[in-house]
Amino acid sequence: MFNRNCRHFMSVLLVLGLVAGVAACKPIVKREDPNSVKDLSGKWNDADSRKVSQEMIQDVLSQRWLSKFTAKKGQMPTVIVGQIRNLSHEHINTRTFIADMQRALINSGEVSFVASSKERSEIRDERKDQDLNASEETRKAMGNEAGADFMLKGSINTIIDAIEGEQIRFYQVDLNLIDMANNRMVWAGQQKIKKSVERSGVRF
Amino acid sequence: MVLINEFSRRLVLLSASIFLSLSLTACISMGKKTETIQSELAAGRIGNALAIAEGEDSEQEDVLASLDKGMLRRITGNYQASNQIFEVAKKKIEELYGVSVSEQAGALIVNDKTRSYAGDRYEQVLLHAYMAMNYIQQGDLDSARVEMLQANVKMQEWGEEPEDDPFVRYLSGMIFEALGEKDQALVAYRQAKDVYTTTKDKQQLPIPSTLKADLLRTLASEGHNNELRRLKKEFGIKKYKAKAIPKGYGELIVILNSGLAPVRQESSIVANTEGEVVDTVKIALPFYPEPAQRFHARLTTGKKKSKDLEVVEDVDALARAALAADIPIITTRAIARAVIKHKTQEKIEEERGALAGFLATVVNVATEQADLRSWVSLPQTIQLTKLVLPEGKNTVNIEIYNAAGMLVDTIKKEVDIKSKKSSFLAEHWLAPNMSLNVVANK
Repeated sequence: MFNRNCRHFMSVLLVLGLVAGVAACKPIVKREDPNSVKDLSGKWNDADSRKVSQEMIQDVLSQRWLSKFTAKKGQMPTVIVGQIRNLSHEHINTRTFIADMQRALINSGEVSFVASSKERSEIRDERKDQDLNASEETRKAMGNEAGADFMLKGSINTIIDAIEGEQIRFYQVDLNLIDMANNRMVWAGQQKIKKSVERSGVRF
Repeated sequence: MVLINEFSRRLVLLSASIFLSLSLTACISMGKKTETIQSELAAGRIGNALAIAEGEDSEQEDVLASLDKGMLRRITGNYQASNQIFEVAKKKIEELYGVSVSEQAGALIVNDKTRSYAGDRYEQVLLHAYMAMNYIQQGDLDSARVEMLQANVKMQEWGEEPEDDPFVRYLSGMIFEALGEKDQALVAYRQAKDVYTTTKDKQQLPIPSTLKADLLRTLASEGHNNELRRLKKEFGIKKYKAKAIPKGYGELIVILNSGLAPVRQESSIVANTEGEVVDTVKIALPFYPEPAQRFHARLTTGKKKSKDLEVVEDVDALARAALAADIPIITTRAIARAVIKHKTQEKIEEERGALAGFLATVVNVATEQADLRSWVSLPQTIQLTKLVLPEGKNTVNIEIYNAAGMLVDTIKKEVDIKSKKSSFLAEHWLAPNMSLNVVANK
């Protein structure tokens, strides 16, 4: 009798101790390769962003608009990033793959970018400040900004079909390069991603 | 042997009293929390309610705590922080998808509160609506659109109409239209109209007159003339001419979150089947008390224009309908639990003696509590109206009248109207003399 009760009591203590021990555990941190694919919730993630940027970059650099422009003007085109509208079901950060694209295009040496309108006003403020405070040799004059030849615009759309416990998520990213001089679309890139997500109706 | 028996009895006594005191303090603090947030809100002391809410659930594990924090941050004008915690609630709700086996077992042994609270369906959909309003108030219509699409997926997953929310459909329509997507807006307005009709047994709401006007206008502009004729007939409108907003004017959409959602209370019976202490069982069930007083609102401007707001969502009715739908299963569980608890009491008495049986009964009766959880910082009703105003700064008043028709409060707001555009004004009114700061009681 005594033994049985004692054992019960000990096991309660053990469970309590275990609970306290688990609660006091430090978070487990593991470094992951940025190029690995790990799907957690089925939502838009870093792997999707990377896939879109990689394939868009390849496409935009291999198309004829670039060679045509360089042949005609004898200089590389200047591009500005316009609005990439998020029309999807998720709060998607479009800046990640746009930044990827920008970096790849600049580093390819075939395209240059100008700062966006927000960035420009900051730089103009700085130039104004230089006018007053910088020395003659280092001062940058106003009115020498490079105008963009093309604007990169686009959108992300999704179609989600869902029933209890199952979803098909379809993402489509459209990017267009528009000639600033005549509104002509010189390049249209498109990427599609489709995922199916199943959720169990029972958890522990 | 006597000594050992005495020791074992003491052990049982000790562990039972520890368990009892632990569970009692847990229950008391739980009850107190809701009551205090609720009572501070009812008294209009929003700042105090927010301070209490912020002090709870630092681990961000509890959906309800996050929902309350989000709503109170929103009411006090902190839209970004509100959405940040609402997003936490949203993630947690997703994690709680599906039926938990262990929690169901706990619900059969202890009480319904052992089950995680993922929010009722009406609460889960309204979460998206309030996140959308937060984004609108930060000037980010695209993100508000994302929230509406998520609400749409959620309602789609649940199947057909009964779980559909007419206000959320209507709000999506207005957001689409404000973004210039008239075709999408039309689809949402149509759905809203249908859902107001199909959910009439829940909310008893007529199709709002503003929705009728929005639907006819978008049908006309999209060239759906047959449907336009049919709906004109259905709405009993003989003469209809689609009027575009003239240049130099814009539309103000006023959304008023008025009053407070009802709070569940417990009703319980303690029964004794055969006269012995161990034959005592308790059954506790949640119920809603009589609805609180309703307030209605009127929008007025300095230029003698005035318009009554219409109820577009009756949250009070939604909460009652949700409980009414759940009460059969809650009752079944409570009865099953009473049977199980009675059996264990008898068994413990048989094996361990009268004292142990008595203690088990005390613990079982004390832990039998109704699940009173719901999102208490939601409003009682959501009311809406639209008004065309001249471009630029305008001062508008939202006048609040009580059930007797007496003016009890006025919200004065300055709005910036843009030519040919829609502007949103989403306000909360909980009680007369609302205070958003932390104030001393009385």
